[in-house]
Amino acid sequence: MSGSGGDGRYVDPELGLLLGEAASQRIEATSAREVWRDVATSLPAPGEGPTYYDRPVLKEPVWIWSVPVYFWVGGTMGAALTLGGAAQLAGGPELRPLVRRCRWVGAVGGAASAALLVHDLGRPERFHHMLRVFRPTSPMSVGSWVLAGASTLAGAAALLASRRGLLRGAGDLAGLGAALLGLPLAGYTAVLVGNTAVPLWLETRRTLPLLFIASAMGGAASFFDLAPASRPREKRVVRAFGAVGKVVELAAMVAVERQVTRIERVGRPLREGVSGALWSAAKALTVASLGATILPRRTRRAALAAGLLGTAGALALRFAVFHAGKASSRDPRATFDQQRGR
Amino acid sequence: MIQGSNMAECHPVGFRWVMEAKARGAKIVHVDPRFTRTSAVADLHVPLRAGSDIAFLGGLVHFILEEERYFRDYVVHYTNAPALVSEDFRDTEELDGLFSGWDPESAHYDPRSWAYEEGEASVPASHAELSPTRDRETTTGEPGPERSRHRRASRLDPTLRHPRCVFQLLRRHFARYTPEMVEEVCGVPRDLFLRVAETICANSGRERTTAFCYAVGWTQHSVGVQYIRTAAIVQLLLGNVGRPGGGILALRGHASIQGSTDIPTLYNLLPGYLPMRKAAQDRGLADYLRHNTAATGWWHELPKYAVSLLKAWFGEAATAANDYLFDALPAIDADHSHMATVAAMADGRVRGYLVMGENPTVGSMHGGLQRAALRRLDWLVVRDFAVTETADFWRDAPEIARGEVRPEEIATEVFFFPCAAHTEKDGTFTNTQRLLQWHHKAVDPPGDCRSELHFTFHLGRRLQALYAGSGDPKDRALQVLTWAYRCEGAREEPSAEEVLAEINGHRLADGAPVGGFTELAEDGSTACGCWIYSGCYRDGENRPALRRPAREQSWVAPDWGFAWPANRRILYNRASADPEGRPWSERKRYVWWDEEAGRWTGHDAPDFPAERAPSYRPPEGAQGIAAIGGTEPFIMQADGRGWLFAPNGLLDGPLPTHYEPQESPIGNPLYGQRRNPARLEWRRRDNPYHAPAGDPRFPYVLTTYRLTEHHTAGAMTRWLSWLAELQPELFCEVSPELAAEKGLVHGAWATITTARAAVEARVLVTRRLPAIRLKGRVVHQIGLPYHWGSKGRVRGDAANELIGFVADPNVSIQESKALTADIAPGRRSA
Amino acid sequence: MAAGFFTDTTVCIGCKACEVACKEWNQLPDDGFLFTAMSYDNTAALGASTWRHVAFVERPVALSEQLTGLGQFSWLMMSDVCKHCRRAGCLEACPTGAIIRTEHDSVYVQPDVCNGCGYCVTACPFGVIDRREDDGRAWKCTLCYDRLQGDLTPACAKACPTDSIQFGDLDELRQRARRRLAVLHDRGVREAWLYGADAASQPGTGGLNAFFLLVDRPEVYNLPPEPVVPTQRAAGAWGAMAAAALGIAAVALGAVLASRPGRP
Ligand SMILES: Nc1nc2c(c(=O)[nH]1)N[C@H]1C(S)=C(S)[C@@H](COP(=O)(O)OP(=O)(O)OC[C@H]3O[C@@H](n4cnc5c(=O)[nH]c(N)nc54)[C@H](O)[C@@H]3O)O[C@H]1N2
Ligand SMILES: Nc1nc2c(c(=O)[nH]1)N[C@H]1C(S)=C(S)[C@@H](COP(=O)(O)OP(=O)(O)OC[C@H]3O[C@@H](n4cnc5c(=O)[nH]c(N)nc54)[C@H](O)[C@@H]3O)O[C@H]1N2
Ligand code: SF4
Ligand code: SF4
Ligand code: SF4
Ligand code: SF4
Ligand code: SF4
Ligand SMILES: [Mo]
Repeated sequence: MSGSGGDGRYVDPELGLLLGEAASQRIEATSAREVWRDVATSLPAPGEGPTYYDRPVLKEPVWIWSVPVYFWVGGTMGAALTLGGAAQLAGGPELRPLVRRCRWVGAVGGAASAALLVHDLGRPERFHHMLRVFRPTSPMSVGSWVLAGASTLAGAAALLASRRGLLRGAGDLAGLGAALLGLPLAGYTAVLVGNTAVPLWLETRRTLPLLFIASAMGGAASFFDLAPASRPREKRVVRAFGAVGKVVELAAMVAVERQVTRIERVGRPLREGVSGALWSAAKALTVASLGATILPRRTRRAALAAGLLGTAGALALRFAVFHAGKASSRDPRATFDQQRGR
Repeated sequence: MIQGSNMAECHPVGFRWVMEAKARGAKIVHVDPRFTRTSAVADLHVPLRAGSDIAFLGGLVHFILEEERYFRDYVVHYTNAPALVSEDFRDTEELDGLFSGWDPESAHYDPRSWAYEEGEASVPASHAELSPTRDRETTTGEPGPERSRHRRASRLDPTLRHPRCVFQLLRRHFARYTPEMVEEVCGVPRDLFLRVAETICANSGRERTTAFCYAVGWTQHSVGVQYIRTAAIVQLLLGNVGRPGGGILALRGHASIQGSTDIPTLYNLLPGYLPMRKAAQDRGLADYLRHNTAATGWWHELPKYAVSLLKAWFGEAATAANDYLFDALPAIDADHSHMATVAAMADGRVRGYLVMGENPTVGSMHGGLQRAALRRLDWLVVRDFAVTETADFWRDAPEIARGEVRPEEIATEVFFFPCAAHTEKDGTFTNTQRLLQWHHKAVDPPGDCRSELHFTFHLGRRLQALYAGSGDPKDRALQVLTWAYRCEGAREEPSAEEVLAEINGHRLADGAPVGGFTELAEDGSTACGCWIYSGCYRDGENRPALRRPAREQSWVAPDWGFAWPANRRILYNRASADPEGRPWSERKRYVWWDEEAGRWTGHDAPDFPAERAPSYRPPEGAQGIAAIGGTEPFIMQADGRGWLFAPNGLLDGPLPTHYEPQESPIGNPLYGQRRNPARLEWRRRDNPYHAPAGDPRFPYVLTTYRLTEHHTAGAMTRWLSWLAELQPELFCEVSPELAAEKGLVHGAWATITTARAAVEARVLVTRRLPAIRLKGRVVHQIGLPYHWGSKGRVRGDAANELIGFVADPNVSIQESKALTADIAPGRRSA
Repeated sequence: MAAGFFTDTTVCIGCKACEVACKEWNQLPDDGFLFTAMSYDNTAALGASTWRHVAFVERPVALSEQLTGLGQFSWLMMSDVCKHCRRAGCLEACPTGAIIRTEHDSVYVQPDVCNGCGYCVTACPFGVIDRREDDGRAWKCTLCYDRLQGDLTPACAKACPTDSIQFGDLDELRQRARRRLAVLHDRGVREAWLYGADAASQPGTGGLNAFFLLVDRPEVYNLPPEPVVPTQRAAGAWGAMAAAALGIAAVALGAVLASRPGRP
């Protein structure tokens, strides 16, 4: 039947128009959402605290895939820049190519990170507002500045790496700067998620940084393994760096797991569902990658395998943590139990 | 005491003051089949079986009488407790549920045997000529033609011991309304009932008062009027009428539904509760006045009001010589109440229908029959904000969806007029408290939308032009009608204030507004559109528009709006003082006798002849106001007393009696007479009824009601997204027990059926609608809001498809609060 | 003046006038028409298009001082809103400075600055602030900043028929709340208590500028029992990161040095 939008009102839609900034909102089609199906109708089981019809108490993080991917990229470039800095300081001319490669990873990674982050924004055209203020209480603000600084310096350092004289000196200075910023860059994303109300992230805020940084080392090494250098010394450096990283990463994963056993509901997503599967996968892949790394006979194929497995592991880890966090934010009891300490 | 009303949900703004009272220590009791948003903040909530309140209230009467908790001084002096009743009177206790005077043939009561002693019930000649049935129809609604026969009781027994005095009748009538009986009929446990009784008795007397609030949870029953009568008896016995903090407050419906009874849209009343002219008996003005003028009491003044009304309508043309054109008034010859009219319409006996501010196919009973009636019309006019279900009945209706009726077969011509909202026009609202409040136009109505005033005025003008030349007597009224309101603006909007001035009334000599109804005259020298509103435009001041802040005036706030009559905030307030005229207590001081000044004074306008001393006793044979004694506060009554027993004016008995609803799961535990014998039924194929008691096909009680989020038939809310989202779908409320018994799933669909129709609704399983435990059995109740229809932003089945035509005999109100139905999981088939 | 709300849930009649008044004043759209079967609550939660939300709780527990034929039963209603926290997670997390503290001590999102990073959404311990579906900006109660400019009471408080929502100067509101609490306790409503009235009772947020009088545990109303602004705990995380960072630096150097020629 005719009528405004066929909604049966038969009134001039103009009359019903909402005005003002809030009015333009589009609300997702709710017809599909049959809330009543997952509304709690029974009383909470004995021992269980009450909830409001099992509805979430928190808002689920709105971030999309590009954010965990960035966690990986940022970590990788951070670790790479650090390694580059170390090589530049103590490696001598022999490791110069490694230094250059690290700077390029930093530069390219920086660009990629920016793209990934802007893609996640609700208002991409306003990405530059990220550098509108510096807010120490906001890891995201701190991180934005770190990322901006690191990638600019890395870019400059990379471009000046092959110059001579003064320019080269400037490049090395930039390289060191980038290396210094690389340190926080490799791990601040863990602080960023830890600094939220999301139960799982909040619970693991002290172990996540180690996990992320270790995984960043492994990730960076794995990344290099994908295009192994010819020089044996360079190989040794990367290999050692990666091996240590992966060992520590595995240790950190165990630490995280033990930490979330404190409150059953909080840790649940690391054991169950998609996030749980990703978590186990990350572990398996890292173990395998580590194995391939410390294999006595290092064939090119082994290195490649280590690289692939390590990269996949590092990515899986970020996604696992990401989705586990989201899942825990959907579970009101995770929040309630955590705050009640039960 | 809130019973028969869900005040918090239906009168949220008024409920503000209830919460204020609670904050100051008032106890709030809510008696309702459901646990509602009112119960949620009440101190005491009593669930009872829908349709059983007279038993509950009767139980209170019994308790008050047997426990001697009544306010003796008040009862003896201010009520008709001492009055002796005719020897011919027989009570329901003697006749197993019937009173004397019942005539099975005509299915109506002859009230003569209910009168006070000494045969005052002499019947005027005109009255005797009437056939009983027509009599019932034409007397529907107080005042009936026998008002002329109301007189003072000739014998009083102040000791209240005489076996035939009202007090003793009352005692015998309610003898079996014991706490045990209350438990058996209402399903209210003894202790809970006694807790209520104790609470209200403890809160009544000289120092304290209790107020009753009710609304349609009480009225919408085939014995609705008697529900309120029972409350009146309780309040009179406890001395809670005419005193601050007391009374029985009818929480009225639409913003100005009170106004539409004062200046009525009712077929049997003229403005100010003057009876409508009745074809069978009111041949001329003389007849009319003779039948309706009370010998004693304030209604003796009726001629002044009737003549002034005729002068207001017919102006110059109305003269003493031509009976002020009384003959030009239409006269009613039958019951023309809503359901009666719709039934006639369905039989093809009504050709045109103006629906202004109503959505009957959703709001009124039996949508199917409503639409069947609309299909028989020649023309239908609907004035509303949006094209409602009523306006679209010809193309968007269940029977059309089912393919039983095809639009092209419907001949009715439909005219839709968009209307202006209250924000788009000047005018008054008369609220629950009889308070007239002016509302100012905020914006012009959009497009073609026009106010009711505009529509009616210009329609009238065109009709006057159309019939200007007619010689037919029936057109006379139209020709001489005073119809010249000043119009403003390009749209020629009539001035609402001029209408208010006409309602207030004026002296014809100098055209000056009268100061109140006491200035109205019988000799045609004054005109007044509605005597009870007289004074609202005193000195040419729009008093409904007064809005003086509370801090700048007394706590009675006389300068906020205008309360009819005479800006009086509490009716019968002389009862707030003792017989000697002193306040019953300092705490409850309100209106009192000032000996020095020799007049009544107080916080409010005294509702009593200003200078009538408490010591005044009417001389033998006194007439009218002079017949009201100094200790008789209820001045509208012929005997100046509050009626515990109604010797007259009611069509279903002088005392309230518990009857089961038309459709009930049980028989009447009290009497052989199951249902109100005088109830109005429409026995016709398209209006099937269930078996009177315990119809196995329909084992559950169904009750219908409102939600805060929607308004009545929904056109004002279902179209509005902000409200629609708050209650998007029709749902039914059922107890966990019933859900288990019938396999109803919370949130899923259920279908509710009666002999009339089936509707589908979402299921809300909740403990708020408890199963009622009567002696020996469990009665399940289904709750259903009635706001949905087939149009608007959110849509759903209309609850009223389920409900048949049955009504209370006195006021023809439908029985939509208690009937029977069945329920099953799943959606309806068609 | 520090302004805020004292919401006394014991006088709330669940009329939702606050919810509608808010949507009307702020011209917020409906969130769709879905039947939730959550008692009379069909808007379910606070969000970008619902800044006031009335919760309905049917409890198998009786209120003390209320007697009903239903026995152990009561129906709680509570109008929820942004708490305008003294220490606001959203504000402290916002990297763009879009969220500011106004002269009324309220927490306000500047719509023209927000770039929709969504960090505030994760940082609100009450699940209040949300991102708009369409333009991805964070959106929440403004404490009627625009009305306050004109000395008007916030729309929700203005519409509340029972004064369940009381708006005003915070110190005054806190006194009023304590007086009300005392009265209720006198009357035997032992379960009544104040949620977030001050820093002492809710150190995690430093107290709420929109605080509540409740009669049951916070969880029942979908409120967190011990909310903590995340930044309060950030130090630990930063520390852990610093340590780890030193570690990585050391490992990097170590790897380089260890790889010097002459070594196997
Ligand atoms: N929000 C809102 N407010 C309104 C309206 C609206 O539609 N929406 N409508 C207005 C109008 S027109 C009117 S008339 C008033 C009506 O105001 P109310 O009479 O308060 O409204 P209802 O919900 O129809 O009925 C009140 C209560 O009666 C109960 N009840 C049903 N049967 C019985 C019974 O047999 N005995 C007793 N004791 N209680 C019973 C129901 O459970 C319900 O809770 O509200 C007015 N105000
Ligand atoms: N089952 C069941 N049925 C009931 C009841 C019940 O409790 N249970 N309650 C009964 C009661 S008490 C009532 S009052 C009725 C109400 O039933 P209706 O009066 O039929 O329903 P409303 O929706 O109030 O209709 C009023 C119409 O007037 C329109 N309107 C509003 N303002 C104006 C105006 O200024 N001018 C014009 N022309 N139109 C205007 C509105 O849009 C609306 O469509 O329902 C009755 N029906
Ligand atoms: S809707 Fe209007 S009439 Fe009804 S309570 Fe609200 S303000 Fe009063
Ligand atoms: S409640 Fe949430 S959104 Fe509101 S101020 Fe506090 S942290 Fe910010
Ligand atoms: S979404 Fe907007 S308001 Fe929220 S943190 Fe990001 S920039 Fe700030
Ligand atoms: S303060 Fe204003 S914006 Fe906030 S909830 Fe109330 S009405 Fe809405
Ligand atoms: S307006 Fe007041 S009473 Fe109504 S729901 Fe909101 S807070 Fe409760
Ligand atoms: Mo009504």
